Amino acid sequence: MRLAVKEEYFDEPTCEHNKEKKVCKTATPGSSTGGCALDGAYIVLSPIKDALNIIHAPINCLGNSYNQRTSKAVSGKEYYMYGLTTAMNENDLIFGSEDKLRQGIIYTNNRFKPKGIFVYNTCVPALTGEDVEGVSKELSDKIKIPVVPVFSQGFSGNKNLGNKIAGDALFTHLIGRKEPSIDLLGDFNINLIGEYNIKGELFLIKKALKSIGINVLSTITGDSTIEEIMYSHKAELNVVICSKALVYLARKMKEKFGIPYIEESFFGMTSTNKAVMDIVNSIGNMELVKKAKDYIKIMTKKTEEKTNEYKKFLTGKKVLLYTGGVKSWSLISALNDLGLRVIATGIKKSTDEDKLRIMKEFDKNGNIIMLDNGNPVNLIKIAKENNADIILAGGRNQYTAIKSLIPFLDVNQERLEPYVSYEGMEFMARLIYSEIKNPLFRLLKESI
Amino acid sequence: MTNLIKNIEINPLKTSSSLGAAVFFLGLKNTVVLMHGAVGCASFDKVTLTKHFRENIPIVTTALNESGAILGGKDFLISGIKNVYEKMKPDFIGVASSGLTETNGEDIAGIIKDFKGGQDIPFANVIYAGTPDYKGGFEDGYINAMLSLLTEAKILKNKIDKKGKSYKKLNKTAKSVNVFCPFSFTPQDFLELREALDYFNLKPLMIPDLGLSLGGNLDGRGYLQTTSGGLDAKNLPDIYKSDFNLIIGLSLKDAVGNIERLTGLKTYYLPNICGLKNTDKFFNLLSKTTGKEIPEKYKRQRSRLMDAYLDAHFYFSGKEIALALGVDLLDSFSSVYSEIGANIKIGISTKVIGDIKYRFLNLREGDLDMLYNCGSIDMIVSNSNAKFYAENLGIPLFRAGFPIIDEIAHNYKHYILYGGAINLAVESADLLNE
Repeated sequence: MRLAVKEEYFDEPTCEHNKEKKVCKTATPGSSTGGCALDGAYIVLSPIKDALNIIHAPINCLGNSYNQRTSKAVSGKEYYMYGLTTAMNENDLIFGSEDKLRQGIIYTNNRFKPKGIFVYNTCVPALTGEDVEGVSKELSDKIKIPVVPVFSQGFSGNKNLGNKIAGDALFTHLIGRKEPSIDLLGDFNINLIGEYNIKGELFLIKKALKSIGINVLSTITGDSTIEEIMYSHKAELNVVICSKALVYLARKMKEKFGIPYIEESFFGMTSTNKAVMDIVNSIGNMELVKKAKDYIKIMTKKTEEKTNEYKKFLTGKKVLLYTGGVKSWSLISALNDLGLRVIATGIKKSTDEDKLRIMKEFDKNGNIIMLDNGNPVNLIKIAKENNADIILAGGRNQYTAIKSLIPFLDVNQERLEPYVSYEGMEFMARLIYSEIKNPLFRLLKESI
Repeated sequence: MTNLIKNIEINPLKTSSSLGAAVFFLGLKNTVVLMHGAVGCASFDKVTLTKHFRENIPIVTTALNESGAILGGKDFLISGIKNVYEKMKPDFIGVASSGLTETNGEDIAGIIKDFKGGQDIPFANVIYAGTPDYKGGFEDGYINAMLSLLTEAKILKNKIDKKGKSYKKLNKTAKSVNVFCPFSFTPQDFLELREALDYFNLKPLMIPDLGLSLGGNLDGRGYLQTTSGGLDAKNLPDIYKSDFNLIIGLSLKDAVGNIERLTGLKTYYLPNICGLKNTDKFFNLLSKTTGKEIPEKYKRQRSRLMDAYLDAHFYFSGKEIALALGVDLLDSFSSVYSEIGANIKIGISTKVIGDIKYRFLNLREGDLDMLYNCGSIDMIVSNSNAKFYAENLGIPLFRAGFPIIDEIAHNYKHYILYGGAINLAVESADLLNE
């Protein structure tokens, strides 16, 4: 039985939060917080399109909420989006449900023929002490595909921790277990870590990188396969995208395989340009650098032309941004590209380093309020006091904003379009433009 | 391979009892639901409910961590209640437990009782429903919460009685009725039912009132931290002064006895009020109890329904339908489909109820994956999660039940009474004709 999670998860030498050590663990009773470790682990692992996910838990953990992520995959059955659970009942609690899990894994294997199965341990089986690790190992040998145990019991911590646990599962059970065939390798091979292909964002990033001649060998985990993850150790650079939690995985890969990593964001033109340059500079090939510079020049011009009309309208409009951690500064940069002024931003999950980066954007931006508290009432108050034209936040704040008749755009999981790279910039500009411009808000204000 | 034991839920239809309790509590006005468990227990429910209702859903968590899971969650629960009260000042705090908090065997009811006894601040009505996830399903949690509320209301009423305060006699020109509806009712269903009762001059206390709380409304209050409408706390004692109880829903059948006993009122039970026959029964009942005639509006609707059945029935001929729904919708939809003469090839539900078995070629308890290899079908009636199967088979999906996260119309549609049966018949016919 593995009840406590590895202390190592809380000891991230590269994480600024590390100073306070267990800060990632706490949540106040009586507040509405994000998901648990299970949620976080599922987010990371579920986009792998030839694998299936079995949640070993009572019906609550999966039954109430599955099939809600929007990770896209090319050519493949949608099996990876299926929700599978052992749905433990009272008898399972008393007599144990390892056999049930075994039967579940075997049935799943026969019915779907996946290339891998992730088995998630959750609160109840963790408490009753089921040997999920043992069953996984046994079945892995029997059905000859990786059956990977994921120790994501919710009481261990939040979503962020779950990301790490998932990263650890990939590292321990998959990465480095296979060699890629020659035709999969390009001249310059990198991995993207923490990119889940929401609304097809990965495709846009890949497109940009391909134009310069960079091959994305593996993506962890958007639109990826088990095999792709197994040979990801052959890349020469890891690019961690907007995810502090998966820096853990990048660091592990650096220690074991000597792959250097950089952290980048593809939100907005400035960030995308910077990311592209950082990647080619890290690879260190002069020809590549030149190619990248040329490409950036063309794309910058093209994107500016396309967003120009929107920018004229958006310049000086005020945005309240509330999103977690890394996304704060990376989005501020994107919004500044469009001439928008960010009047306030959430920093609840941000590290000191993130805050510093926000401050850097601050120069272009004028005064900025740092919101330490995601309390919706506070959010609305700040938005109203400062006459924000739009709130950009995650889905959980959608109704907070629109019920108060403040225009809103989702910048998290449920975003309507891909926002990354050059094309994403256009989408984002158009959506913010039409939301602020929408006459509905005035009509309703007058009618209330 | 075909003989393999399928001991796993693939795309489950079932949801947990804690969700059932949470939904019940959300039908009370100015309420916050406090999930006693790890943060995920609240978060998963909140996400799905928000997407389904497109409303702000006030569910918070006691955020149990490792030490709480092992050493007991009392402190988490109490500080959770205190924090909610301080921050949001709700009239109700609905506490639902989880698999995690029930596994370690804590006496949550006792903790809450002690806590309430020891407070002199005007604490909100803290109502607890024991909802271990590994036991029962949605309906069990819903009923648990319902009975907890009635018990709470009784205590309140007894207190008032003791003080000797005689409350105002209710205006006896209108009879009042306690109405218990299942979760299968859409917010629009709740509103339609309220209107129908109004025609008979009946004042309903809806327990819970998901029509007023989650039906969507926009007013000057803007964003609220608690439920914006629903059954009002100040009406709790009135429950015991109503003229009779009206319980609707096959899933509430088991609660009929308890509700009758707790309230001590005359109780009428109808498995559903969908379709021609069942709606007839409903209106006859109202007419009999109030002595009023069935209003012209509904007589007209009845005749339109019969005509709509005629118009629609051609499209069902030779077609086969699969229903994967909770017991209430399975019952009410299948009654309309059988009236119209449709073939229901397979019915999948969370429980098999013998009473309605005759309407199906095959009625089974299970998950949505039973739609895979159930042979050729022409339409699936189920929630959003059945989308995979409808797409794979290249057939339409009639979205009904919970959750519906990929369209918004469901909250504004109704399928009860004559009008609802018209909707169901013609919308289904159109989909089959596509």
